[in-house]
Amino acid sequence: MCWAVPAKVIGVDSDVIATVDLGGNTLKKVAVGVDNLNKGDYVMVHAGVIIAKLSKEEVIENIKFIADQIRETAELEGENPDEAVKSFMESVSGILKDLESEK
Amino acid sequence: MDLPKQIELLFRENTPLASKLADEIAKLAPKVTEKTGLDKIKIMNFCGSHEWTTTHYGLRALMPKEVELIPGPGCPVCVTPSSDIENVIKLAMDGYRVYTFGDVFKLPTVNHYKKDQIGSLAAAKAEGADVRIVYSFADAIEDAKRDNKPSVFFGVGFETTIPSYAVLFAKEKVPKNLLFYSATKLTAPAAEYAVKIHKASKRTPVSGVIGPGHVSTIIGAISWDFFPKEYKIPAVVTGFEPIDVLTGVLTILKDLYTGDITYTNLEYKRVVKPEGNVYAQEEIREVFNVVDAIWRGIGIIPKSGMDFNEKFSNYNARLQLGLEEKPWDYDLPPGCKCNEVTLGTAYPNECPLFMKACTPARPWGPCMVSMEGACAVWARFGSSQRVLEALKEVK
Ligand code: SF4
Repeated sequence: MCWAVPAKVIGVDSDVIATVDLGGNTLKKVAVGVDNLNKGDYVMVHAGVIIAKLSKEEVIENIKFIADQIRETAELEGENPDEAVKSFMESVSGILKDLESEK
Repeated sequence: MDLPKQIELLFRENTPLASKLADEIAKLAPKVTEKTGLDKIKIMNFCGSHEWTTTHYGLRALMPKEVELIPGPGCPVCVTPSSDIENVIKLAMDGYRVYTFGDVFKLPTVNHYKKDQIGSLAAAKAEGADVRIVYSFADAIEDAKRDNKPSVFFGVGFETTIPSYAVLFAKEKVPKNLLFYSATKLTAPAAEYAVKIHKASKRTPVSGVIGPGHVSTIIGAISWDFFPKEYKIPAVVTGFEPIDVLTGVLTILKDLYTGDITYTNLEYKRVVKPEGNVYAQEEIREVFNVVDAIWRGIGIIPKSGMDFNEKFSNYNARLQLGLEEKPWDYDLPPGCKCNEVTLGTAYPNECPLFMKACTPARPWGPCMVSMEGACAVWARFGSSQRVLEALKEVK
């Protein structure tokens, strides 16, 4: 029931209804559960309502959180924190570049 | 590349990162048990989707022996009381059109309608009742407007679903012929209840919680601060990809090791804000009040449900149609252990009916119905977990 899927806002029809693309051009009319919604926004849709917005900046924040956890754990284990994060950053570098270039 | 695809590559299809996280977890776990004196680090999730990810991707098999991942009360379909379903079946048989979601449709009741064989909305439909499955409340509104027939929406769901009802009521988009039967529930009171049960029953206590990501989009990560503050249990709100859940486990271990347990960590930063979705919160407050609610197989959990406030009572199906609030008794079918599964005190395969009398095709108990019920998840993906565990033993 709490399954939510990412979607792109194709149009804001009214203060309550928007049209979203759930992927592969599957269009759906959904209720608007967030404020300041704009065409082109990426959102999470759950049971026919937009519950949250998604942004590239926040995806980068998300990656930073994971990097911090790995760094802090390495420190606790007496390992070199920079080394630990290096291999992590290598595993995400391609996508990170892609994300940052489009910001 | 679009954003959803980038997220998939980062958080789902990232094997090097998953193995890095699993390594760190394996190294830290014995240090945590040594320092805390715990035999096991029991980590509970409160969302059927987290249980899905954990089981589907075989994450339990990646855990060291010190770490146990258990499902908690995380599926609103599983905990919808039998008496609510029985009430709605009666309305359907009395000629009301009933709308609901697909996974509520097959939910089994304990008492059958007029002692006949109508023990679910699906069975009522087979007997000729007008029961319609919808994708959303908005779709039900469109349909109900078309022919003005007296109708009832059977509204199940946690905080993630409640906004879909609230915004449409608050903005006065619901036609007068569509009443609403609220069986909505709030996650945090049930999560606290489950953790208290473990503590009181002298079982291994819950030592960390993974907060439900999508519920938290609405209520905010800070809603879980009571776990670190009052119970000294680390909490982390995570997303639903395997990398998210593994990071959540690592974060909990790290907090237990350092003893720095003061606030809820927010891993799912790409979607959740600490304060949540303030707009949706206001719309919900406009329409609903917090009420005590019955959880199937468990009983009343105070302040764990929502029903209409006075302003919207015209839409309240219970009130308008004089439906009795039945006293809660034992409301699971004989032999079903869903109450224990829901509270994390039994795994699905510890139920003697699991995959025997109870299967996804013929669910006997409620946890086998929804795609996010723990029994249904284990029925579908438990085998991948067993394969990974077998491989671990071979290593
Ligand atoms: S296997 Fe079926 S009967 Fe047993 S606890 Fe799960 S849902 Fe209930």
